[in-house]
Amino acid sequence: MTKPKIAISWNSSCGGCDESIVDIEDKILDIAAKVEFVLWPCAMDFKYDHVRALPDGDITVSLINGGIQNSHQEEIARLIRKKSKTVVAFGACAWLGGVPSLINLKNKEELFKSSYLESISVENPRKTLPAIKSKVDNCTLTLPEIYDTLYKLDDIIGVDYYLPGCPPTADLITDLFLKLIEGGLPEKGAVLAPARSLCISCPRNETKPDNFEIDEIKRIHEIIADPEKCFLVQNLLCMGPSTRDGCGCSCIKGNMPCTGCFGPADKSDQGAKMIGTLGSILKGSTESEADRVIDGIADPAGTFYRYSTAASMLGRKRKEDR
Amino acid sequence: MADFKPKIVAFLCNWCSYEGADKAGGQKLNYYAGIKIIRVMCSGRVDPYFVLKAFREGADGVMVLGCHPGDCHYRKGNISALKRMRLLEKMIVQFGVERERFMLDWISAGESEKFQKTAEKMTSRILNLGPLKLEGYVKRKAAQ
Amino acid sequence: MPGSKTGDKKTVLFLCKCSSNISNIVDFEEIKRWAGEKGDTNIAAVSNLLCAPDGKKFFSEVIKKKNVNNIIIAACSPKLHEKTFQDIAEKNNINMSRVRMANIREQCAWVTADKNEATEKAKSLINAAIKRSFLSEDLKRRTMKAYSDVLIIGGGIAGIETARTISKTGRKVYIVEKNITIGGSVMKTEDLAPSMECSPCLMAPILSDVRDDPNIEVLANAEITNILGFFGNFNVTIKEKPRYVEDNCIACEECFKVCPVSVKNEFHYSLGERKAIYTLFPGAVPASAVIDKNICKHFTDNSCDKCVSVCPFGSINFDQEEKTTAINAGSIVISTGFKPGDLAGFPELGHKSINDVYTTYELESLLSTNGPTGGKLKPDDEKIPASAAIIHCAGSMDSRGIPYCSSICCTHAVKAGEMLGKVYPAIRVFNIHNDLVFTDPEEHQFYKKQKAKGTTFIKCFDLSSIKITKTPDDEKIKISGYGFEPISVDIAVLATGFKPADDFKELAKIMDLALDKNGFFRPGHRILHTTASEQDGIYSAGCASKPVNAAAACTQAQAVAGDIMSRLIPGREIELEIFTSFIDEEKCAGCKMCIPACPFKSIYYDPERKISIINEALCRGCGTCTAACPSGSIFARHYTDNEINAEIEGILHG
Repeated sequence: MTKPKIAISWNSSCGGCDESIVDIEDKILDIAAKVEFVLWPCAMDFKYDHVRALPDGDITVSLINGGIQNSHQEEIARLIRKKSKTVVAFGACAWLGGVPSLINLKNKEELFKSSYLESISVENPRKTLPAIKSKVDNCTLTLPEIYDTLYKLDDIIGVDYYLPGCPPTADLITDLFLKLIEGGLPEKGAVLAPARSLCISCPRNETKPDNFEIDEIKRIHEIIADPEKCFLVQNLLCMGPSTRDGCGCSCIKGNMPCTGCFGPADKSDQGAKMIGTLGSILKGSTESEADRVIDGIADPAGTFYRYSTAASMLGRKRKEDR
Repeated sequence: MADFKPKIVAFLCNWCSYEGADKAGGQKLNYYAGIKIIRVMCSGRVDPYFVLKAFREGADGVMVLGCHPGDCHYRKGNISALKRMRLLEKMIVQFGVERERFMLDWISAGESEKFQKTAEKMTSRILNLGPLKLEGYVKRKAAQ
Repeated sequence: MPGSKTGDKKTVLFLCKCSSNISNIVDFEEIKRWAGEKGDTNIAAVSNLLCAPDGKKFFSEVIKKKNVNNIIIAACSPKLHEKTFQDIAEKNNINMSRVRMANIREQCAWVTADKNEATEKAKSLINAAIKRSFLSEDLKRRTMKAYSDVLIIGGGIAGIETARTISKTGRKVYIVEKNITIGGSVMKTEDLAPSMECSPCLMAPILSDVRDDPNIEVLANAEITNILGFFGNFNVTIKEKPRYVEDNCIACEECFKVCPVSVKNEFHYSLGERKAIYTLFPGAVPASAVIDKNICKHFTDNSCDKCVSVCPFGSINFDQEEKTTAINAGSIVISTGFKPGDLAGFPELGHKSINDVYTTYELESLLSTNGPTGGKLKPDDEKIPASAAIIHCAGSMDSRGIPYCSSICCTHAVKAGEMLGKVYPAIRVFNIHNDLVFTDPEEHQFYKKQKAKGTTFIKCFDLSSIKITKTPDDEKIKISGYGFEPISVDIAVLATGFKPADDFKELAKIMDLALDKNGFFRPGHRILHTTASEQDGIYSAGCASKPVNAAAACTQAQAVAGDIMSRLIPGREIELEIFTSFIDEEKCAGCKMCIPACPFKSIYYDPERKISIINEALCRGCGTCTAACPSGSIFARHYTDNEINAEIEGILHG
């Protein structure tokens, strides 16, 4: 019997997803014995030409992490899609855009300015910015085109499964590999974590009273959070209610509120749902009273869509130059 | 911009604002035809998602109209709406959608003239702002 | 129809011309052409006037003959006729949810001048209705068994009258009274204005009626501690304080004579005294006396049990304990009465600092035969007062006291003069007023009669300028103010207003009701339903929602009784809201965020199953919880996310 072929690839991501695969510890060895890795740029030495040489659909499963922000990433993503039977959007970035998709709240020019000119760690006296083609010593160098918008993976290629998390947990990854080898994956299109909100697993949920109000939004560094009480009751914004279950509440157990990396609990808009929820617990019954509490949320989009801006209903900042 | 015909979606609660709009009709108080009304039982039913969805589907402006505070048929559904919509307004600005493209206001069943004026005010706001045109560039077509 | 855009739906689009109201401006030919091209409706049927008898017949015939199961009506506002057509559809076995109206009259033809624009708008409204109709799910009419018993909070004249009216139909009525005896404020006065009917004579047979009525149960010395439930099914918890006197007491008053402790009697505005064992007045219901534990020497230092030895019936029982009772009732009536306005913020009026300055309530109490002095103003003073001044609006229309006009105190003020005149025929009366408020012709007549009898009505433009003074040397009380010459009188009477009773706030909290800016219960509707509250099944009578006189309190009581009796019929089920929300128990994570969103407390958390549950009997269908649910686990019937999203798409891409 031939071993299932696995490809692991990365796009606009931090490498944490690749790291998380190694984090399943000795189980990786069992898995490695049962599968054949044909591509894993982060961990092993492969050439894309090797992949190009494979027959279409030859790869059993590809795990792709990161969203798509440049033409190179798009090209590789399309290549892998062509060569794979099944594609899993691995992690928050591939599924929803992830943290890098916060760039969608800015434009490319602002990104370049901040990254290549204004960042305090940058030394760029000639103010060189990335360009697709640039002349150096009579040669023309070509770089991939950086897009104005960061796309989630399924904006570019078809995706069969979504594995949430920033990064996905070791348990979910192990489970995914087991199902890849032994079968048992759900219907295509599924998100591989329970479609319920995180509160169901939260050890603090029982401390949340039936009725309470947030009269002032606090940030985590401003108070010493009670290690047992629901964060919302402590006036801390916890994204748990509008975030999918399945992470094991590791942040919450570390006394940090959920920031939402498992994405929306259903296939909805994580920010809209969180706003809908907060509406009935923020204190105030007049516009000015409401605004007083709302003022405590300095960056609503960044808070509610920290991992899902590319997947949000509005998707990105409106382009002014149309 | 002369041929710009804004699309405005207005979510109206069944008990006050929808009645107010009906009364405006009964009195033949004309307003811009591009204002299209969706009836909900209470302004508290308006999920922020609906507002975003309307923008995404091509609305240039979105209105949510409910009963005056204290007069909600369901006691305080409109107060939930108020808080949601204030927060939502703050957020849409971060997406480059001008705050003025959204309007939350209170219209009672008797306030037909206020309904007409509010509708006209929203129309002129959107005419000034121009088309939103979110549609089309946000999502790429997925290629298999 | 295989390959059709309508799925399994056979959809008919009715277009109503509304005579020519709609078709004058909306191009029906174009709509028909467009609908045919779109292909998601199977039939387009045009009617001249669909709501007319002919039109309804046509409607009925089309849906029958063509075997349709989905109906779109482009016509007037759904608020006018959606129910009309839903009813016809239901008769033809088509669920009400399958009838949807597109409002192309009020929100299109009547507000758009341009024919093209109106036609285009009509298309998008119709398209939205069609798109949404494909996602509608059947709705069920729901009914529930209801309790027909009624619980009344407050046994004043309003509560008693409600109880008497309802008990006649055989329903059980409970009166929960905070005081030790029912009767309320009417028992504190001798006469009721303007008819000057003798109030104890009026009340005595009524109280006996209540006592003897097997359908009325009085729980006195009791208070409400909790109310759960909804119209038709309230569960009320009541705490009855111990009386320390058993029910077999007939109030023979033997014990009063031997009881060594006296205290000011609050029932008589602290003007008289009562013993530690006491009743409020003869003929009280319940009849039995009560021991005031706070002052009775048996309880304070275990030094006295004189009442035990003199009681001919062995009724004294120091071991009685507090009793908690739970009662199921279909309706609740708030008839908790009022509290007289106080004058603490008005030192210039001399109340409690100058002798012979009374409020109207105090004056009535003193002049009442049930009162602390047996009807004498000054039992120990032989001197006959020669003159009296009555100050209107005392402590009212002023931010220091009652900011509003209670509308009854002017009649009280006139009555004070009338009562003084009865006791002291030669007395000279001055009424000092600014506004004069009388709410019916008889009251006005009463005022005219008083004026004709010789009472002087002095107009003072600013009642806050009134000062009542008396130095130790003065024999008389001096009253001065803007716009009139100071007068000197023997007695001053302050006509104070009506305040909400002290327990309104607590009750409002227990019942989840709102109070208005003056602190009274907000009526269900200011015109159509003044005796309803904001919560279905909870009513108010008497001074609960605004100050009223005894006659109005009785009218309200009978109105409330009628309303309750017509809605809660023993054995008949009550209809529940159709558009309720429900929770998908598989999806719900029990995050509880919907609970504070619900304005009707209809959602609760089940700690065993770790999910939230909507009590659909309480749900009124606003859908606020649906928008609050962060995981999309709540569905608002007939207004689901899917339906509204389809409507948004339909309206924008029509």
